[in-house]
Amino acid sequence: MKISESGLIGKSVPRTDVIDKVTGCAVFVDDIQFGPSLLHSRLVRSPYPHALIKRISTKKAEELPGVRAVVTGKDLTARLGLYLIDRPIFASDRVRYYGEPVAGVVANTEDIAVEAAKLVKIDYEVLPAIYDPVESTQPDAPLLHPDLGSYTVANFIFPEPGTNISEHFKIRKGDVESSWSNCAALAEGRFSLPPIEHVPLETHTSIALSEKSGQMTLWASSQSPFAMRDMIAQCLGIPHNKLRVIAPLVGGGFGGKAGVTMEACAVVMAQAVEGRPVKLRLTREEEFVGTSVRQSLVSEIKVGCDKDGNLLAMELTYYFGGGAYNDYGVNIARAAGYSCTGPYDVPNVKADSLCVYTNHPVGSAMRGFGMPEIHWGLEQIMDQLAENIGMDPAEFRLKNCVRTDDEIVTGMKMTPIDLEACIDKVSKAIDWEKKEQPTAPNKKRGKGIAIMWKAPAMPPNPGSAAVVRFNEDATVNVEVGGQELGQGSFTIAAQIAAETLGVPYNSVTVSSPLDTKYSPYEWQTVASRLTWSMGNAVKAAAEDARTQILETVADHWGEEVDDLTIKDGLVISFKSEREQPLDKMVIYGLPNEDFEGWKGGPVIGRGHFMPTYVTNLDPETGQGTRAVVHYTVGAQAVDLEVDLETGQLEVLNIASAYDVGRAINPDLIMTQIEGGAVHGMSSAFEALKFNESGEVLNPSFVDYRIANIADIPRKIHGDYVETPIGDGPWGARGVGEHVMVQTAPAIANALYDAVGIRFSDLPLSADKIYLALERKNETG
Amino acid sequence: MLARPGLPDFEYIRAETPQDVFRLLGEKGDKIKLLMGGTDLFIQMRDRSEGAEILLDVKYLPGMQEINFNKKKGLTVGAAVTLNQLSIHPDVKTHYGILSQSADTVGNYQLRNRATLGGNLCNASPSADLAPAALVYEGTVCLTGPDGNRELGVDEFMIGPGKTALKAGEFLTGLHFSIPPPDAVGQYLKLGRSKKGDLAIVGVAVLGYSDSEVPSGFRFRIGLNSTAPTPYRVPQAEELLAQNQITEEILNQAADEAMKVSAPIEDVRATALYQKKMVRNLTFKSLKEVWDLLKKS
Repeated sequence: MKISESGLIGKSVPRTDVIDKVTGCAVFVDDIQFGPSLLHSRLVRSPYPHALIKRISTKKAEELPGVRAVVTGKDLTARLGLYLIDRPIFASDRVRYYGEPVAGVVANTEDIAVEAAKLVKIDYEVLPAIYDPVESTQPDAPLLHPDLGSYTVANFIFPEPGTNISEHFKIRKGDVESSWSNCAALAEGRFSLPPIEHVPLETHTSIALSEKSGQMTLWASSQSPFAMRDMIAQCLGIPHNKLRVIAPLVGGGFGGKAGVTMEACAVVMAQAVEGRPVKLRLTREEEFVGTSVRQSLVSEIKVGCDKDGNLLAMELTYYFGGGAYNDYGVNIARAAGYSCTGPYDVPNVKADSLCVYTNHPVGSAMRGFGMPEIHWGLEQIMDQLAENIGMDPAEFRLKNCVRTDDEIVTGMKMTPIDLEACIDKVSKAIDWEKKEQPTAPNKKRGKGIAIMWKAPAMPPNPGSAAVVRFNEDATVNVEVGGQELGQGSFTIAAQIAAETLGVPYNSVTVSSPLDTKYSPYEWQTVASRLTWSMGNAVKAAAEDARTQILETVADHWGEEVDDLTIKDGLVISFKSEREQPLDKMVIYGLPNEDFEGWKGGPVIGRGHFMPTYVTNLDPETGQGTRAVVHYTVGAQAVDLEVDLETGQLEVLNIASAYDVGRAINPDLIMTQIEGGAVHGMSSAFEALKFNESGEVLNPSFVDYRIANIADIPRKIHGDYVETPIGDGPWGARGVGEHVMVQTAPAIANALYDAVGIRFSDLPLSADKIYLALERKNETG
Repeated sequence: MLARPGLPDFEYIRAETPQDVFRLLGEKGDKIKLLMGGTDLFIQMRDRSEGAEILLDVKYLPGMQEINFNKKKGLTVGAAVTLNQLSIHPDVKTHYGILSQSADTVGNYQLRNRATLGGNLCNASPSADLAPAALVYEGTVCLTGPDGNRELGVDEFMIGPGKTALKAGEFLTGLHFSIPPPDAVGQYLKLGRSKKGDLAIVGVAVLGYSDSEVPSGFRFRIGLNSTAPTPYRVPQAEELLAQNQITEEILNQAADEAMKVSAPIEDVRATALYQKKMVRNLTFKSLKEVWDLLKKS
């Protein structure tokens, strides 16, 4: 590990928010007090997965004493969306999933709102529903969005109006058809995974206040206050300067609090009761039913290699079940499309990545953004192919994995990475070659490996901005628009600012809550992009402030800026060895000789970063100069055992290694690796379950079992590699999502090693594993 | 369709004497729910499946939170004894280990500080974790009502999902367990979707002891939950084990009997087929382990 000159980069300094969070002082949206003027609200949700709304009667609800307003989508024609503007705030003519908001009730108390919600009478004409993304592409499937052709869409998204296909991304590279005959081994498979929930500790909560002046203020649990402002402002025609989004700390997001979910409902309800703040707080059950989910996926994969195990060709079709609205999901299918091969060097590729409307909850961003979904199949098919050609799975991956400067699937040159080093590290950590004995005679044990890649998936040019402000005593406030979701972004911002300015880490405070009225712009806290993009902006702002200070002091001393530096809060001259403390001078400046006037003034540094080099891809071939800013890669290996009497699976050890470019704070990377491994396990073992009416059957922690402390493996080994990239601060890139991308297939590969059965459909329940074991025993 | 955000308003009354309870239940029984730990009741109230205007707290009535053990008379546990109290009590651990072990499998530590033995049985969930142990120790429930006290076998108490033999105006004051046979050993095996804190997909309690009166020289009692409308014993299997020399084959046959008797429903937790197979496998595993312990002693 390399430590920077002043020792802050590469050092595991404590988190800026640790004391507040451990002592319970940290403020979340629901903690903010509004006094007696606060009104409460509930949403009226659709009891059908697909139906036409014939009539809505709000009269009885409005007449209930204590009810302040009942709102519907009647007068709201505009839709919401990030990449494809297809989502109404309240459904007005048609509902497309069980739980979709149709009306909102504002009342003096939450209890009255609950009662009033029951009095809103809605007549529906039930329509046939569709849940399977493959069936949904068929010509006879019920059409969910007849108006798809009229929706506004980003110029890199390609919907197919008249069908349920909201995005069709294509790769046509080389010649797949004629490659099959050159292959010495092939592997083919079909894999699927159902929707899963983000399961944040803090459910979605917002409070909105509309004022006579036209000012709208929205307090929200949000990963993305600026994107939220932009989407709602566009939809409702509010000028951006009149819509203020305040976002305190977020109690877990995982992508579920990116973009807009239910916050626009609160805004519309607040408009109906001018002058009174309206709170909308989702219950845990609503969190499962009425917020976004990770999309389902069916993937069909065929892959072949030559006799030495070199990959020759891949053919892929991805059917993402995007749910009722695909405003965000279209870009997940696109990201899956341009990274469709996984981290492999394959010369011939044909791929179609589709996002498809279904009558399930809205699919949206979730940690990994399409990558966990596609790697579930990819990393198992690579194991199969390795087996078919007679190679060790780790060896096969070392041979075929992508390397720096390779021409990857989109034709782009691979950015600097060292995936081989990651594979080596996890192989060693898990003792890959060694066959371990099960801990009991009724168990079987196995090991599996899986590798991954992921690029930040976003528009080509999302920006970050930062401001560095000095105080009189030379302490520093760093202002950013990126959110602290528990991942440690504020800590990284403070480290980068302190390092760049030459001031102690504990003299830096990162301003919170985020507030679009005061905070500098940040696109969204998604895509593992903050350390990299916001980090660049903070570094630029700190350099700007540092330059201002040095110019003032150089002028004061009659020296050159190049001869000065700042260390531990002191400006020092290498030439004259003079020293100037920063306190006071960063606000008041420095006097000229004999106090004949002054130099300098309050120091405020500004900085921004925006990638300017991403190019569009050819819509027919998916080829282009630079599809993405960069990739982060990594490997995981799993050691597990299966109880043959129950089918229960126990993960004994997970080893992870990722190439992070540069580890700004190693402890934060380790906490991501540990949390990611556990999150990855949960994603392998649990999912949303639906009945035929599209209703979620397990909308609570009783029946949606995420891994708890007892399920966590005894050993979680974490490691990283540092291959710096050119455009990140000290070469750093993100690793927040990557840590759970390939956990499920690594588990499936280990399970195959243990019992010789391939499981191609998630989740991996003990029930499913046991019954498969019995079938295998019966058929021999 | 979805749970309300919080609990509905209710009136809380703490009963000081059983007569308070009888009187209030007599006056407005349809508006009252008896409260002990509340860990099931509050959830039902939030879901609005259980309306109640008054919660009548009975856990401070005399004896409700007491555990009494006597080497001759056995064990009496107040209905409002918490699962954590039960799980750490030295006499319970020594003489009624399966009760203590079962108590420890419910929810998490914080929940077990509130959840009670009586509540676990009165809730009458098919998956009640304490029921298999209560069945194999052949406990009796002590009920009190305006017409006096009565006792029932645990097996007669739970009569259907959410249904007990309690009559209007009656409530559970405690459980009694006589002294188990001197060499009795046993265990509760619980299968959940996660290692801790889940509801049972299948739970099986087995108690074994020597008995020279029967051909095999041993008796086994088998109590199961989660796989029928109520927790249940498996007399067919128990008889088989009493009448035949114990071999692995006989243990297997007994486990098959348990599987035959079980009547699980398909639910969100597991398929009915898997539940049946798990009744067999866990019963066998438990019988085998208890048999191994018996052989040793």
